[in-house]
Amino acid sequence: MRYIKLPSENFGKFFKSLGEWGTLYAPVKKGDIYSFQEVHDPAEIALDYTRTMLPPKKFFFRPKEAILRLKNGRWEEEIEAEPTVLFGLHSCDIHGLKILDKVYLNEPADPYYKSRREKTLIIGISCMPDEYCFCKSLGTHFAMEGFDLFLHELPDGWLVRIGSVRGHEMAWENSELFEEVTDEDLANFKEFEEKRAKAFQKELPQEGLADMLDLAYNSPVWKKYAEVCLACGNCNMVCPTCRCYEVCDSWMDAYSSVRERRYDSCFMENHGLVAGGHNFRPTRLDRFRHRYYCKSYFDPTAGYNCVGCGRCDEFCPAKIEHVKVLEEVRGSLQ
Amino acid sequence: MSENPYQTYDARILEVKDLTSREKLFTLRFLDPEVEAKFDFKPGQFVIVDIRGFGEFPISICSSPTRKGYFQLCIRKVGRMTKFVHKMNEGDVVGIRGPYGNGFPMEKMEGSNLILVAGGLGMAPLRSVLWYAIDTGKYENVWLLYGTKAYEDILFRDEIIHLLKHGEAMNCSVKLAYEVESPSCIYLEQGFSDRVCKGVVTDLFRGEEFDVNNTYALICGPPVMYKFVIRELLDRKLSPGRIYMTLERRMRCGVGKCGHCVVGTSVSMKYICQDGPVFTYWDALSTRGLI
Repeated sequence: MRYIKLPSENFGKFFKSLGEWGTLYAPVKKGDIYSFQEVHDPAEIALDYTRTMLPPKKFFFRPKEAILRLKNGRWEEEIEAEPTVLFGLHSCDIHGLKILDKVYLNEPADPYYKSRREKTLIIGISCMPDEYCFCKSLGTHFAMEGFDLFLHELPDGWLVRIGSVRGHEMAWENSELFEEVTDEDLANFKEFEEKRAKAFQKELPQEGLADMLDLAYNSPVWKKYAEVCLACGNCNMVCPTCRCYEVCDSWMDAYSSVRERRYDSCFMENHGLVAGGHNFRPTRLDRFRHRYYCKSYFDPTAGYNCVGCGRCDEFCPAKIEHVKVLEEVRGSLQ
Repeated sequence: MSENPYQTYDARILEVKDLTSREKLFTLRFLDPEVEAKFDFKPGQFVIVDIRGFGEFPISICSSPTRKGYFQLCIRKVGRMTKFVHKMNEGDVVGIRGPYGNGFPMEKMEGSNLILVAGGLGMAPLRSVLWYAIDTGKYENVWLLYGTKAYEDILFRDEIIHLLKHGEAMNCSVKLAYEVESPSCIYLEQGFSDRVCKGVVTDLFRGEEFDVNNTYALICGPPVMYKFVIRELLDRKLSPGRIYMTLERRMRCGVGKCGHCVVGTSVSMKYICQDGPVFTYWDALSTRGLI
């Protein structure tokens, strides 16, 4: 890793230069909600944001998109990917993209996801946890890869980690804006990280988690929360790693049709439905438990399917807390 | 060929045959000779049928890969899409992509006995195995135990009756169980008293002995059937690793992306479309929700 420093006074110029690499998106505050929006001016962005409602997956795997268009009896593919710069991703979201990569870039790769992923630059930014964050206990609070540049806040600027060749190019072209890192900067970086590590209020103990949950398959805790859950699927929509989709064909006119896919939710009753009306997850309990198992699945190559971003907690209308559910389920074993 | 895994290829319907009042057999062939030449599959694999402008659905291939130049799909009319397909005729064109899934390990099972246990529509994927085994002649003995509702519901009735009569010569013995009595069934039962009976598919195991060290069981049927059939097989001390079953889920993409066929818990998650649809009973023991 190469480390350089971006002094505060050069931030504006650096930010403007990012626009030359592609359409620039960054977190913006609208009402009480943060979201990734197209920006042109550094004054528009909320650098100290907590989390956006929709995670950055929306740039690669769209909430609704046309994948094929029927013209003259043949499907024509519709791949639109423009050079994009995503500025200000938190570490958990970078890990979230890695989990999506595992699925969507795995052969055969999803061409829509892949082309957007290849044309997008990722600039990470350091953050302070709030009451919903539990990324530290999942090891996703710090990103070692998956970004081009990562900015860490210093009292007088930013410590920049360069994570890719394109990241090097971006720094190279603006080399007059950067400085060498001093011992003082390193001390500040260390201090910030230590302060941040202490700021986490929520923890998800990992020891034997996957097995404990599996053993507690019939725990009454699942039932208790399934009764509270509204089955609205909000948690699926805002989750940076949820990626189920449904496909639907619609006619545009008598000769042309479009095949669209859109986010799907495992809380919907028809998610486990098969031909003839048999449902493999007929009750809300089945569906509730399925989501928790899917998020807690541990893949040796990519870790858990949950990155601890806290979105499902913050945006749950029934105020169900992910960590609390898992801890209670685990506790019910004793 | 396109690199887009969601692109489908034109296939012409060569023949449509009524199997029962609900099922039709479609014989298809790709229009593009290059696609046709590349298309190869294993028994137990499935394709996704694309009715352009209406949608897609997964369906298992019911013909054997030993018979070149065409492939067959047995489609039951159950929903909007399949109803539409049932209205199609010879010469019509549909889109096809695939084949997908792992299929049955036919090479691994060579030289062994095969017990095919089919319930209702489960006959369709197992027919591919049946004809593969008969055509290649690489298997010791093949038993087909087929449970059906009524005489009118017997899929591939001509073939089944042909095998009842002449199966022995092909090392293939067929047994049939029906639930609803009818003159035709009674007639069959009189002709093949040792092989046709009223009851469910597990009744066909009665009196059946097999060498557990040299036998594989392959099961396909409605969800409720697996538990009972597996119990019969385990009672006879057949190893769970020798019990293969092919499963159904609502697969949208077929390539492990859309998430509809994901099953399991925090310790073991599987995509039916990529890790399956063929699983052993060991897999079912280690992955909750598989069956």
